[in-house]
Amino acid sequence: MTASALLPVFALMTSLTAAIIIFTLPEQKHRLRTVVNLTAALLKLLLVGLMIWGVFQGREYGVSFTMVPGVDFVLRADALAMLFAGLSAALWLLTTVYAVGYLEGSPNRSRFFGFFSLCVASTMGIALAGNLFTFFLFYEMLTLSTYPLVVHRGTQQALRAGRTYIIYTLTGGAVLLLGISLLHSFAGDLPFRPGGHFAGIGPDLQAPLSIVFVILIAGLGVKAAIVPLHGWLPTAMVAPAPVSALLHAVAVVKAGAFGIVRVVFEIYGLETANALGLLSGLAAIAAFTIVYGSVRALSQSDLKRRLAFSTVSQVSYIILGLCLLGPVGVAGGLVHLVHQGVMKITLFFCAGNYAETLGIHRIDELDGAGRRMPATSVAFTLAAFGMIGTPPLAGFITKWTMGTGALATGMDWVIAVLVVSSLLNAAYFLPVLNRIWFREQKDPWTEERQWGRFETSAWLLWPPLVTAAFLVLAGVLASASFSPLGWVELIVAREVGP
Amino acid sequence: MITAPLLLMTVLLPLASLILALSPRWQKIYRYSLPLLPVPAIVAGLTVELHNWLEMPWLLMGGTWGLDELRQSFLLLTSILWATAGIFAVGYLNTRKLRAFCVFWALTLSGNLGLIISVDLASFYSFFAVMTFAAYGLVVHEGSDEANRAGRVYLAMAVAGEMALLTGLLMAAQHADSVLLTELPAAIAESERSWLIVALLVAGFGVKAGLPFLHFWLPLAHPVAPTPASAVLSGAMIKAGLLGWLVTLPFGELALPAWGNTLVVLGATGAIGGAMLGLKQVRPKTILAYSSISQMGLITLMVGAAMANTSQAATLLSVIALYALHHGLAKGCLFLSTAVELPTERRFRWILCLLIGLPGLSLAGLPFTSGAAAKFAMKDALKPEQYDFSMADYLPLVMSAGAVATMLLIWRFLWALSRSVGTGRNHRFKSLGWMAAMACSMVAFWFLPGAGSGTGHAWFVLTPSESWSLIWPIMLATGIAVAWWIARGRNGSWFQC
Repeated sequence: MTASALLPVFALMTSLTAAIIIFTLPEQKHRLRTVVNLTAALLKLLLVGLMIWGVFQGREYGVSFTMVPGVDFVLRADALAMLFAGLSAALWLLTTVYAVGYLEGSPNRSRFFGFFSLCVASTMGIALAGNLFTFFLFYEMLTLSTYPLVVHRGTQQALRAGRTYIIYTLTGGAVLLLGISLLHSFAGDLPFRPGGHFAGIGPDLQAPLSIVFVILIAGLGVKAAIVPLHGWLPTAMVAPAPVSALLHAVAVVKAGAFGIVRVVFEIYGLETANALGLLSGLAAIAAFTIVYGSVRALSQSDLKRRLAFSTVSQVSYIILGLCLLGPVGVAGGLVHLVHQGVMKITLFFCAGNYAETLGIHRIDELDGAGRRMPATSVAFTLAAFGMIGTPPLAGFITKWTMGTGALATGMDWVIAVLVVSSLLNAAYFLPVLNRIWFREQKDPWTEERQWGRFETSAWLLWPPLVTAAFLVLAGVLASASFSPLGWVELIVAREVGP
Repeated sequence: MITAPLLLMTVLLPLASLILALSPRWQKIYRYSLPLLPVPAIVAGLTVELHNWLEMPWLLMGGTWGLDELRQSFLLLTSILWATAGIFAVGYLNTRKLRAFCVFWALTLSGNLGLIISVDLASFYSFFAVMTFAAYGLVVHEGSDEANRAGRVYLAMAVAGEMALLTGLLMAAQHADSVLLTELPAAIAESERSWLIVALLVAGFGVKAGLPFLHFWLPLAHPVAPTPASAVLSGAMIKAGLLGWLVTLPFGELALPAWGNTLVVLGATGAIGGAMLGLKQVRPKTILAYSSISQMGLITLMVGAAMANTSQAATLLSVIALYALHHGLAKGCLFLSTAVELPTERRFRWILCLLIGLPGLSLAGLPFTSGAAAKFAMKDALKPEQYDFSMADYLPLVMSAGAVATMLLIWRFLWALSRSVGTGRNHRFKSLGWMAAMACSMVAFWFLPGAGSGTGHAWFVLTPSESWSLIWPIMLATGIAVAWWIARGRNGSWFQC
């Protein structure tokens, strides 16, 4: 085996191995577990970094073997894979740090970190999957490895949420499998390929292809939380903060969105999908989800629930971006895969900090929190402004790129969606910021605790600060070649052409 | 060669000062550093070579910063005003929420300065947004119910304005296929949807510039802020909206008589209506806020004329810059004077009363003040025979009415101030800041680049007819004010002189 084959396998194996080691470690070996966790996370970041560098220079990494005749297991590192793998590797490291601090002294940590590593291995597999079958394998593995994380606390509420989650996602998985099998029955095993497989197909295949497309999107749309398949997401916010952070930023919703990207770009091909008239429908659903999620977020009084509905809205930006057809609009959608991840993980980290340090769960308890926890609040503020799309932050880059792309292809109505969404985002984030910074504390925070030298434990404090710095830099340095936007432009050049 | 560091420092120094907020022990240092934050901007405004762009291709969508004549004038106004207000703030502030004030002050300042030196759209829009949102912290600083209410209205209208801007700028940039502001006007002129783009930009920036019907936040927000913040809000930040118009709208590219007419009507409404509403107010700072709306209305007249006539646009733009410079400095002085205490000894009092009134008289166009230079230049540039849009004939009438209204409003302000002013000793830095602002408005103004360009001859030479054209509105307004005062039974104090 050459290095080109080994790198993707190693990247996958680091988290898998970590998972196996952690499962076998005794519960009380905190220090050793932390060392294993962090070593694996750092190692993976390094491996992914190496692959990103190689892909940037035009190298190909991949490995494949036949499972049963006609079905191949394919891992392949292309530019698109590296977008998701890079995001997942970077945020896994930070979330691990955060989770170590968050779960300090709580039971069942071995189980937690084991499944945590499995979950990250799944996202890595989803990123590197080279065909629909491999994708599906890891997609289901993700479902199964996140369930124990969602119900980790074991409370009645958590178990109920877990049940909702597993019903939604397993059904989604089944629908996806149906779509993949149908596609297999008349087109064979399809590797992901820029431009897709169905350019210039005959009219006899159009109807079945369209039907399969709808089935595939429905299957993937559950995880991507497209309305009306989003019901599990706000319920699942009972999970511990690091899990919510990972669920909303990298693992689950992104897996769905990423799958849709793969299907549209590399199975159907953007032009074919559009010629079949499939994208306008998808765009309409995405636009509706964007507005619906924001409207629902407005009326939530629980901080994490508000953030959850915000995710419903924001993930559909990615899908709407794909439907903008032109290279610029597509870039806007893809870059949001990273931008939304970085911004949302910051918000969930901060929500976790408020909850763990001050016992704050509801928005009206946040009055005066800025004075008590300034660093956390600065990170939260930056991420919230990013979500609104205020320049010069990451969210603005998304909005601007998508807007330009929409105008370039004559889809002016998308501007209206962007504006309405920004206004709604402002309407549900600015009052929160006002409470944090400009209101005086009303009632004492009953569960307040002094934790560490700073406003909270350093393990909890640094991750949101780092991600907040990312979301500022992703915006301010957007035109640098190593920025998310720079990378996405590379992908688009390879996938869609200039 | 020195351009790049100066331009970078202009923005980075206020941003870097945020480090001082990290520890409460440093807040005293932070307070004293406030006047220094705009210093690189002042130096840049005086020394940087014009049209020498600093390219930063990695920044946002591709960054370009630099100064031209217009931006130089706005940069000097803004930095000088922030510096003098900063000196004033050192003496004005107490320790309550001092750190928060300093943070929002520095952030707002970096946005205000940054948008002026931005030549690319993304930088401009970014700094504009930073200024807008950071200024919320200044508006609600006092924490009263009134301040919070004003803050809410401010924020709601600001966000709406941002959205209009986003849409307008997106459309314009897409037509221009460029992120350089300098490419926008021509692109807007060629676009088949120029009407919509112009409408969005006029409205989006109009919120900040206090355009009538988009102004509701202004008389609420400007007065409730701490006095030095009011001064920069009304003197400098209001001009950011104006600058936005000047750098994006298709001046000199396309004659848009319909927009000329619309803006002249809106300008006249602002100039006269703003003053009328101001006359009903009793609080000095609210009166000044309405005066700002009124003065921005007069400037809007020129913006309208420049929209309607391509050949006059260049001249008008330099006159607008001059007028903005004059108004910003004078309005800054007036706002600062609302927090100045009168000396306890009666014999010095009249000197101070006179000095407080002087920038007001300057606004009304008293000969040998910056206002006279600005008014002359405006009258010259707005002679109706140069224009052929339908509202052009009314320009002289509106300007004269505006001058009378301005002076009336100044009397109202002085009357209101005389009822609320206290006596006592001023903090050293407060006196220093106020005197510095006065010196800049009365003296330094004449030495600033572009300030002499208005009249065509030296400022101290006035023909009798020119003098008369300046004096009669002041006299008329004074007559009306005296008549009103007598009719009200001479109540109210006039500085107990």
